[in-house]
Amino acid sequence: MKIDLRKAMNTISDVVQNRPPPLREFDQIYMKVGDLVIQADFIARQFDGKNVTFIGDGDAISLSVMHLRQKEVFTYAPHHVLVLDFDERIINAVNKFARVNDLSDKIEAVLYNVCDPLPEPYRGAADAFYTNPPWGASNDGQSVTAFVRRGIEATKPKGMGAVVIGDDKKLEWTGQVLFRTQEMLIEAGFIVAEMIPGLHEYHLDDAPDLTSCCFLVRDVGAARITARASLPLPSAALANFYGRNNPLQFRYIRDLSGLNQGRAPDSSYGLEVL
Amino acid sequence: MSLIIKPNTGLLFMKVGLHAGESFEDILERKKQEYDDAGMIFWGYGGSTCHPTRHVQPFAKMMVEEHGDIYIVMEEIDSHHDPTVILAKEYSEDGVNWKPIPKGIEVRGSRYAVVLEELEEGDLDLDLSHYKVAAGPSTGRIASEYIGGRVDKACITMAAEQSSGVEPKIKKIHHHAKIKQPFAVFTR
Repeated sequence: MKIDLRKAMNTISDVVQNRPPPLREFDQIYMKVGDLVIQADFIARQFDGKNVTFIGDGDAISLSVMHLRQKEVFTYAPHHVLVLDFDERIINAVNKFARVNDLSDKIEAVLYNVCDPLPEPYRGAADAFYTNPPWGASNDGQSVTAFVRRGIEATKPKGMGAVVIGDDKKLEWTGQVLFRTQEMLIEAGFIVAEMIPGLHEYHLDDAPDLTSCCFLVRDVGAARITARASLPLPSAALANFYGRNNPLQFRYIRDLSGLNQGRAPDSSYGLEVL
Repeated sequence: MSLIIKPNTGLLFMKVGLHAGESFEDILERKKQEYDDAGMIFWGYGGSTCHPTRHVQPFAKMMVEEHGDIYIVMEEIDSHHDPTVILAKEYSEDGVNWKPIPKGIEVRGSRYAVVLEELEEGDLDLDLSHYKVAAGPSTGRIASEYIGGRVDKACITMAAEQSSGVEPKIKKIHHHAKIKQPFAVFTR
């Protein structure tokens, strides 16, 4: 199906304008806008009519797919989306955008950190999960598997998932993390159903050429361990969460924007009288 | 300066020059005085390729634990740095807990600072094609291919094997210093 590119870009622009500035300290690195449209289209098609839980969503793929459907750029989209993120700025931005754009019955965002067990109401509730986690360059992919693990816990048996992580043949660590992640998914009973390599670029000034892939996984009921209990992340997994010697220390990022949400903070400019 | 070229020595490579309206020579004089007064130097910098907690601190801790020391090596360039002169009043090791900038130290127009021992002079030809990036998402890339354009600093180590077909990229280093704990800090 053809997409009206101008309408798609302008619709995505609404979402991009709504996002809080990324915090590099926490691996919030935003996907470039053209790739956001491509990714939203791919996810909207794959998860059409499904209930999807997003484990973190700084890029705002969740809002993108629902808003593009609402504006009739797409004719397909998930039925409902739940966004779990530890950044209250993202939570507030998603919920406010949903209210303003009549999407409140289709999208909900809730504060949650993957170091904690997944809250009971969200366990095994979704048809599919989506995650674009910290890519684990210096931790053998532990941050990736932590997010993917929560995604699996959020999903019903025989569910699906989409994982976005670094993928660059020139960087050995991306292959190792991909291997570790797929190995973990296979142990959990999933197969890799589809993979699009090198699909996205990011606003990442220390690795401007680094791309990520998106791979779809499907639970085929072959889990070696069938129980889907949700436990706190072990301390070993926290120690190198954002890289070697770079632990996960903070449960939540709090939103202090007040009435300035989505606008330049007062402290960032001054006025000079005529 | 042969000391720092031992295999496995960790380096923070940084291009330096005019900064916040101050010439490199003036900065050097001020920083030498800073060391005399405070026993350490806060060398200000910016950008996000050497973020204090994401890149420099983890890299420096690993290098110190495994190999002893870590050094900053400076390549002088003609810089056109934005002349924003804002004096930092506080610093933080983690971006959360802030302390007053120590007496005798002055950081101008920088979000971050690397913490140094005494600055030393000397001549060294550093071939970046023999080094690889050792922190962040570009870990493993050949330093000579990584550093350039907007990327003007990096945490690097000597590559275990030299890549074939890579052109030498020699950098003239005239100043270096040992990096000391807490290695790198935020300033504001």
